[in-house]
Amino acid sequence: MVAMLEKRKIRDFDWLLALLAVLIVGFGTLQIHNAQPTETFWQKQLMGLGIALVAMIAVSFTDYRKLVHIAPAFYIFGLALLVIVLIPGIGMKINGQRCWIKLPALGQFQPSEFVKIPVVLMLAYYFGKPRQGNLTVKETLIGSLILLLPVGLIMLEPDTGQAITYFPLLAVVLFLSSVRMWIVLAALLLCMAGAPLAYTVGVKTGVLRGYKLERINVILDPENADRRGFGYHTWQSIVTVGKGGLTGSQSTDYSQSSLKFLPEPHTDFIFAVTAEHTGFIGCLLLLLAYAILFSRLITGARRSPDRTGMIVIMAVVGGLAFQLFINIGMAVGMLPVIGVPLPLMSAGLSSVLATFIAIGFAISIQLRRFVN
Amino acid sequence: MKFEDDSQNLRIRLRLIQGLILMMLAVLGIRLYYLQVLNGAHYAEVAENQRIRLLPIPAPRGVIFDRNNNLLVDSRPIYNVILSREDIKNVDLNSLIKPLSDGLQVDEDFLRERFDEIRSQPAFESIRVKENATQSDIAWVEAHELEFPALRVEQQPQRRYPENGMLAHVLGYVGEISPEQLDQPKYKQAGYKPGDIIGQEGLEAVYDQYLRGRDGYRKVIVDSRGHIQSEVERVEPQSGQDLVTTIDLDLQEAAEEQLRSTPSKRGVIIAMDPNNGEIFAMASAPTFDPNLFSQRINTREGRADYLALQRDPRTPLVNRAIQGRYPPGSTWKVPMAVAGLQQGAITIQHSNLLCGGGIQIGNKFTRCMGNHGTPDLKTAITKSCDGYFYRLGLKMTIGGIEQMVDEFDLNKRTGIDLPHEVVSWTPSPAFKARMNPHDPDWRDIDTVYASFGQVYDIITPMAMLRAVAGVGMGGKLYVPHLLREARAVGDPASPDYRPTRAFDRPNPKVIPIPEDQHQLVVQGMWGVVNNGGTAARIKMAGFEIAGKTGTAQVARLGEDVGEHKDHSWFISYAPAFKPEISVLVLVENVGFGATYAAPAARALYDVYYRKTRNEEPPGAQVAMRQ
Repeated sequence: MVAMLEKRKIRDFDWLLALLAVLIVGFGTLQIHNAQPTETFWQKQLMGLGIALVAMIAVSFTDYRKLVHIAPAFYIFGLALLVIVLIPGIGMKINGQRCWIKLPALGQFQPSEFVKIPVVLMLAYYFGKPRQGNLTVKETLIGSLILLLPVGLIMLEPDTGQAITYFPLLAVVLFLSSVRMWIVLAALLLCMAGAPLAYTVGVKTGVLRGYKLERINVILDPENADRRGFGYHTWQSIVTVGKGGLTGSQSTDYSQSSLKFLPEPHTDFIFAVTAEHTGFIGCLLLLLAYAILFSRLITGARRSPDRTGMIVIMAVVGGLAFQLFINIGMAVGMLPVIGVPLPLMSAGLSSVLATFIAIGFAISIQLRRFVN
Repeated sequence: MKFEDDSQNLRIRLRLIQGLILMMLAVLGIRLYYLQVLNGAHYAEVAENQRIRLLPIPAPRGVIFDRNNNLLVDSRPIYNVILSREDIKNVDLNSLIKPLSDGLQVDEDFLRERFDEIRSQPAFESIRVKENATQSDIAWVEAHELEFPALRVEQQPQRRYPENGMLAHVLGYVGEISPEQLDQPKYKQAGYKPGDIIGQEGLEAVYDQYLRGRDGYRKVIVDSRGHIQSEVERVEPQSGQDLVTTIDLDLQEAAEEQLRSTPSKRGVIIAMDPNNGEIFAMASAPTFDPNLFSQRINTREGRADYLALQRDPRTPLVNRAIQGRYPPGSTWKVPMAVAGLQQGAITIQHSNLLCGGGIQIGNKFTRCMGNHGTPDLKTAITKSCDGYFYRLGLKMTIGGIEQMVDEFDLNKRTGIDLPHEVVSWTPSPAFKARMNPHDPDWRDIDTVYASFGQVYDIITPMAMLRAVAGVGMGGKLYVPHLLREARAVGDPASPDYRPTRAFDRPNPKVIPIPEDQHQLVVQGMWGVVNNGGTAARIKMAGFEIAGKTGTAQVARLGEDVGEHKDHSWFISYAPAFKPEISVLVLVENVGFGATYAAPAARALYDVYYRKTRNEEPPGAQVAMRQ
């Protein structure tokens, strides 16, 4: 019985999904090397990939239902981590943000990356039961509470970028929990109409000014914005991406990153480095890989044995897709600079590990699609 | 779907999410197409421009020699502190003033001025914050690399002139090109750019095109902080052409020494080769230190020194040889004598005119310094008889004097290769009308004044020397000049080759003086030194000087009025009948020409004699010393 199960598990294991994730990380490692050939970030990333693979396989072969069942425990543990990181002496302060915990062997890790998983599990725990009828106000409030506790703690670090990436988790869950379509449409319309309105009113009333205004202006008109001040990052990223052309430039000697024109090339702006070195073709292939990855995950969600599994996978998809769009949108000058890593590409053990664990859940859910 | 659910249209909602994600990816793809494929070339250029920097390598300026290859001016390397413009575009320059002023000990006002200037010139590559940086300045810049990454130290050649101000008026000086100059087409077309060090005065200015080298450059790759990563290309500078002047350092030093020894310490000495116009020496006192302009003009002290020079009533910045106008006194009698004979007012046979101890015109008696009876021309020159020349002038009439002025080019610039030469003021009814509007009519008394080198005759020393030397040459007036040659630089095969350039000497102006008339005038001038004339005390046996003394009235002739004593003149050449060298001495406000000017000229002849004859000068008489 056990042997049969194991055999079936290996047969049903989503090799494509795992392979795709590993390939993207491998490609990312290459770009990290391009970004900082003299640094050891790319070696650390390979180590991180090894650790992450082990974690992913471990999660895959664990029954996700058992894990969701004890979600509140994970959730409370996650909140505890977010509190601990705020304690001076344990939490490391980098660039004014206290968001790292130093570990003796592994180096440092970022709780806000991992806590997304307990949050997803907690949401699945609450919203995963078979449901009747439309989303209620009570459900919405409880969902919001689940989300806002960690988000509030993260804002204390403060790490706005990470905090923002939590919202799509709830948005996707609510969307899939029968929130009325007209509310969704109304919210969308409000956003689309509200943004330009808010900008105009903000400029007119003087609420939006100084560097905040500059960061938005550089998106609207990068060629004429303050390219050396607050628009610097966006402008340099646009130049770096554009410079790549169709096929990219292979030389790393005088690249934008090695001459330090492009800031944070191995983390936040890894996509710009990729664009510089592999050109439009490389970028398109990368986007295609992500498209396949997401499609594969959504397919998994559709086939999941229960509503809980579907919620887990879709929340993961929402979180990753949102991060991807924020990060690349920033790199190509469509969105303001927000410090969010590009999933699977940016250097950083926490990010890779958290993403692989999330994918591990997706695989675990798929493995049990015939078991009921 | 494995589970039944009442959630509204779950399948559709999943599809919607998937569609939304694919749509976002597509939007990113379109944006990438726009940036990379449509505008890739543009951004590649932007990236290239921000990492490539052209750093000029200043070319060494040509060296200036005297005629015997003695060094007069050269350059030595100094260090400047530069603020690289590229890196500070977003920095408020005013915020840099205080720390830079403190750290580098520069005047705050100077920095403010410099930054203002830079703002109006968008093309500036970099700003020179401090010139002539000391070792401690360089150390300060290195220590504050993180704080002020835009600062760097650059080597530059700096001009070095003789310390004691020798030849300052001739050599001139270099300085940074001014914004006003940059606006002039003359400089624009020559390819000057902001920050260039160019010749501003003297030979430095006139021959800037020769002296100037061609700057080289380094094309380097810099990182975002302006630190040089590597060199892509290097074009070496080509140094400027060395200038060989006509100056003879020994004569020049003697001339400066003589002027320094006079009581007033003000005056001019010019020594010239009458055979071609080459200037052996040109000293104007008081002088100034041109190093002020090439080295210290941007310091507070330097600018104070400059202001003091400008305000000094002794006008040290003026080159008296070509910018000073003086009544020539009796030296005026030399061209008068030639013109009187030419115009037939007197003849060789009948050149006697009454001295009369002076002349009575109307109710005014203008006296002569002595009573010379009825001298002939030769005696009148030798004894410097004013009464004779009053009457000669009246015979020539003002028209004759004007003709003489024109013939001897006394109303024109000599054409010497120095900037800012002025034109002399010469007698004419029109000049009087302008000078004295209350009594505009030309009268006989005016002709008398015009004929003995006063009132209406206000001539530059250079023009006077050229005229008198021309008489010595039998009527050939050469254009005085200071350039012998600009030496070739570069490989003759290369397009950068700059060939040797000599002074482009115009043909001499020829005044037709019959030989017998020439002889007569020269005998008179010979007598001044050699036959008991006014400068008899400087006689050199075997090296016969011909000359004419002059005492130019400043206040009232012959009276000791302190500051306003007469100017003392001596214009001469030697040997009298085969001229090799002509010497003019003018000492301001010291009295009789014979007392100060003639002995100073003798000192130059002594030096010349020693150099050319290799023996001690005959009848050596120590020149007048204080």
